[in-house]
Formats: sequence, C-alpha cells, structure tokens
Amino acid sequence: MKIVVTVKLVPDPNAEKRIDPGTKRLVRTGVETVLNPYDEYALEAALQLKEKIGGDTTVTVFSMAPESLKETLRKALAMGADDAVLLSDAALEGSDVWATSYAVAHALKKIGFDLLIVGGLSDDGSTGATPGALAEYLQTPLVTNVRKADVADGKLHLERETDTGFQDVIAPLPSVITTALTFGEPRYASLKGIMGAKKKTIAPLTVADLALDHAVGLNGSKTELLDAQPPAVRGKGQVVEAADGASGAQAIFAFLKERKLV
Amino acid sequence: MQNVLVYVQHKGGHTPKVTFEMATQARVLADKLGGKAHALVVGNGATQLAESLKAYPLDVIHVNDDADVDTFLLDPVVDFIDAAARAIGPSLILIPNTLTGKDIAGRIMARLNAGICADAVDFKIEGGRVEAIMPKMGGAAITTCALKPGDYGVVTIRPNAFAVQASGAGATVQAIEKPSGKTYTVTVEKDIEEGSGELALEEAPVVIAGGRGLGGPEPFDTLLKPLAQALGGAVGASRAAADAGWVPYSLQIGQTGKTVSPNLYIAVGISGAIQHKVGMRSSGTIVAINKDGQSPIAEFSDLTVVGDAFAIVPELTKLVAASKS
Repeated sequence: MKIVVTVKLVPDPNAEKRIDPGTKRLVRTGVETVLNPYDEYALEAALQLKEKIGGDTTVTVFSMAPESLKETLRKALAMGADDAVLLSDAALEGSDVWATSYAVAHALKKIGFDLLIVGGLSDDGSTGATPGALAEYLQTPLVTNVRKADVADGKLHLERETDTGFQDVIAPLPSVITTALTFGEPRYASLKGIMGAKKKTIAPLTVADLALDHAVGLNGSKTELLDAQPPAVRGKGQVVEAADGASGAQAIFAFLKERKLV
Repeated sequence: MQNVLVYVQHKGGHTPKVTFEMATQARVLADKLGGKAHALVVGNGATQLAESLKAYPLDVIHVNDDADVDTFLLDPVVDFIDAAARAIGPSLILIPNTLTGKDIAGRIMARLNAGICADAVDFKIEGGRVEAIMPKMGGAAITTCALKPGDYGVVTIRPNAFAVQASGAGATVQAIEKPSGKTYTVTVEKDIEEGSGELALEEAPVVIAGGRGLGGPEPFDTLLKPLAQALGGAVGASRAAADAGWVPYSLQIGQTGKTVSPNLYIAVGISGAIQHKVGMRSSGTIVAINKDGQSPIAEFSDLTVVGDAFAIVPELTKLVAASKS
C-alpha cells in the first residue's frame, strides 16, 4: 500500500507572529520555518499504519514549498518516511487556497496513492478547506478528524471526531483522510533516523510536470488579499491584589457591572 | 455572484446558533448584491427545521429529508449544495466554520471552481464585489480578502461573529430534488453525541477557562461550572489541563484547540502562554484570576485579580447569582 502524507512548511508556531503594518506581510526575521505541527500528527498516523499493515507499505511525504526550504523536509524523513516529493515553482507564488489545492491535487495524481493523509489544519493560513478540495479533485472520499485507523478487507475502518461527538465510518481505498490531534503524539526522530534521512530521496516536481488547465499563483488565484493589519493592541489592564476571596470577587463583580456584563 | 445560499448544518433538526447568524447576514448581503437569500436544509428533520427558519429573513428555503445525508458521510450534502447552487445561479455560498463546514466548503469550492474566504467575521460589499474580514494566524493579523469576479464564491462563517435578528416575512419552503445518478461509499456505522445539551464552547457568550493552577479535574466541575452556569456560559481549558487529562480535548482553547471570541472570558489559573493567547485574544473582555501578578496573562487582560481562585470564584458565583434574583 502506498501512503502519501502532505506536509506544509510554516513559520515556527511557538514564535509570536506579527504583521509589518507597512508591507502588510508577516515579519519572518528571526522566525524559523518548521513542519506544520498538525502535519506531524498526519505523518505519525501514516507511520503507525505502515507498522500495522507491514508488507510493502511505503510512506511518501509531499510538500509544496520554495526549493530553499528543501532541507526542512529531512525531519519528516528522519521520523521514518521513505521518501519525499517537493513541488517548487516560482509560478506558484501567491497561490490562494483554490490555486494551491488545484496544483497540489494534480501533483498527487501524478505521484499516485492508496491512502492520502493530510494534517487537520495549517498553522498559518488555517482555512481547513484544502483536504476537501484535494478529495474533490482526486475523486476520492474524504474522512476528516480521524483518531483511530485500521485497514481490513481492503477498506478503511475509522473512528473520527465530529462537532458534537464521534463516529465510526468505513471508507474504501483510495481515500483522503485527515488526522485529529488525539491520534497520538508524533514520534521523535531517532539518531539512526536522522542519519538515514540524509540518504533518502527528495524528488523535485515543477508546474510544467503537472499539465494544468488553469493558471495558478497570484494571477490564477480566485481571491485577492487586499489588506492585512495587526489587531488592535490589547493593552495591559488593571491589576488588583485581592486580600481575600470576598474582596477579589467584589473587584471582578464591580468591573463586570461597569462593563454591563452582569 | 448576486444570490446568497446558506448551508444549514443540523442533526435531526437541531441546529447551532450560527445558522441563525448566517440567515440574518444572508439578507444583508443579498440586498447589497441585488439578489435573493436562500437556505438549504437536508437530512432527517429538515422539514421541521425549515419551518422554524421561516422566522428569519430568508426568501427561499430548499428542503429534502433524504436519509442518505445521515447514512453516508459528507458527499450527499455536497451534491445537494451543488444542485442548489446551480439551480439558483451565480451565488455566494455561506457555510459555518465548523469541523463539518470546513469539509463541505473545501469540496464545494473545488466542485464549483470557486474562491474561498475562511472564518469570516465581517463583510464589505464594494460595487458588487464581496470582501470578507478574517482574523488569521491566531489573530496576529486581521485580513481583508476579496473574491475575484466569478459565478460562485464560498465563505465560511465564524460562529458568534454576526448578530441574529428574527424578522422573517415568511420565506417560501420549497422541495429540492435529490441529485440523481450518485453512489455513495463512505458509511456512518455509529454516530455518538457527547455532552449534548451543553452550550458549545465556540458559541458561548461567556467562557470560564481553567488551567494548571486548578491542580486537578474536580475544580472544573465544582468551581468553574457553577460560575459558568450563573453567567450563562461554558467551561473551557488550557492545553496544560487537557494534556493532564483533567478535561477532554474538546474543551481545549488555543493553538491546537478551539478559537473562541466570547463577550467575556475569565481565565482561572492560566498563565497565558502564546499558544493559549491565540485561541482567545479576540474576546470582548478578558478577566484573569491568578496567584501570580507577573504571569503573561496579566499583559493582555482587562482586569487581573491576584489572589486565590479557590476563594474568589465561589464568592463571585454568589454575587452573580444574587444579582439575577
């Protein structure tokens, strides 16, 4: 079985992000680029399934990113993926969610898969629409927020989280799934994994390889970013020392009353 | 894009509040775009729900009680939206920014080759062009994004961001035909509701969140819940509390959890790390109760009370309860 995991390279989520009001772009100075943390859960799911299914099951990591970020993908290979494919092209710059999904879907069609695992969310743009769009373009089912997965009789047996609880579902192969954070903490790369990753292949792919019918990038996009502003600054408010429970409660109650919240 | 189509998410006829927020907003948008406000309700309980949606300012409510919507995952709903959108003609499609809504939005965006703006909290219509205002990167940026001219556009709507106004003049309820020639392959074998009857965290006007400072699972029930009930709100938690197993992950607020923007957020025993801040910083008023006045949360709270939460919260609950009676 061929499992493909998509990963996105994002600015370090543990760094506080800030928009430059002049350029309206994210200030990237001093912010490292890392694997999207949600995608590490997707990779963990793929590696667990590979261990469970065994045989000739392989895990390929796919990413769309500038060529200069290629080495960031080594982490996924060090965690245990067998190989990687990197779609890089200046023509992709400025792609919105639609253009990105469209290009990535065509790349995945070319790579081929039995199971595609996508992270639940990306840590930067965060639309959550990409998995659905990939499934639509790839003409496969979509099962999101999966917290348990098994393959039996050539079908996926999945437990997924919903808005109000959880569901058990059965889906055919090939399918697209996304993982919930409850699937399990991503593993750390072992020293052996890190050494081995240096020898693994990261195959390049460009837009010319995809034979697209529509333009992508800034001009091919169906939305246009008009403005990005930092949020209104939230200043430090009052700090009150409470001598006891009653005085602390009184201070809060008076404050809420003043703001008409009680 | 001149008409507006609202996808109504529901289970057995029960729908979250965001449906009414979208129905109200659809009217505003349709009037500005010079079109009609439509809604689509499908699945078990749809007809009954359509009747109650008449109280909102919609023009047409498309309805079908098709059982496939509940038997098979996702795809029947997408086919219904696709069919409704094509029947209505060029339109702006509004979908709630919920787990289910995101799945639907992605599929329908690709199906209709449309642009998408996700997690909108406001709109601007400029000469027929739709612009959505959306907080991004955990609220670190407030972006304005326009849908380029095209037949269809998709916008997902953040719950609790738009006002509700029941001012319906009697929308027409109209049956929509089930799309033909479709086969569905993903079956729902079991569908379990958890914590039903409780207010959803994202929709609650007041959130009382607890963190590491609470020291264990019990205070969430004995300390926070009574205050949440008195204020008409819901209980949430920091990642530390969820990781410790004190509360289910469904209550976690922050980077890897939920994003909330209630009118009032009370953080109890939460230090306020950036991972938590990104999930709640757009709240109306933030109050922190913490034993350490130097903790990061004091930097972005409107009021920080330094003291013992175990003594303060019960007294506050009493004051709130007394003010209501």
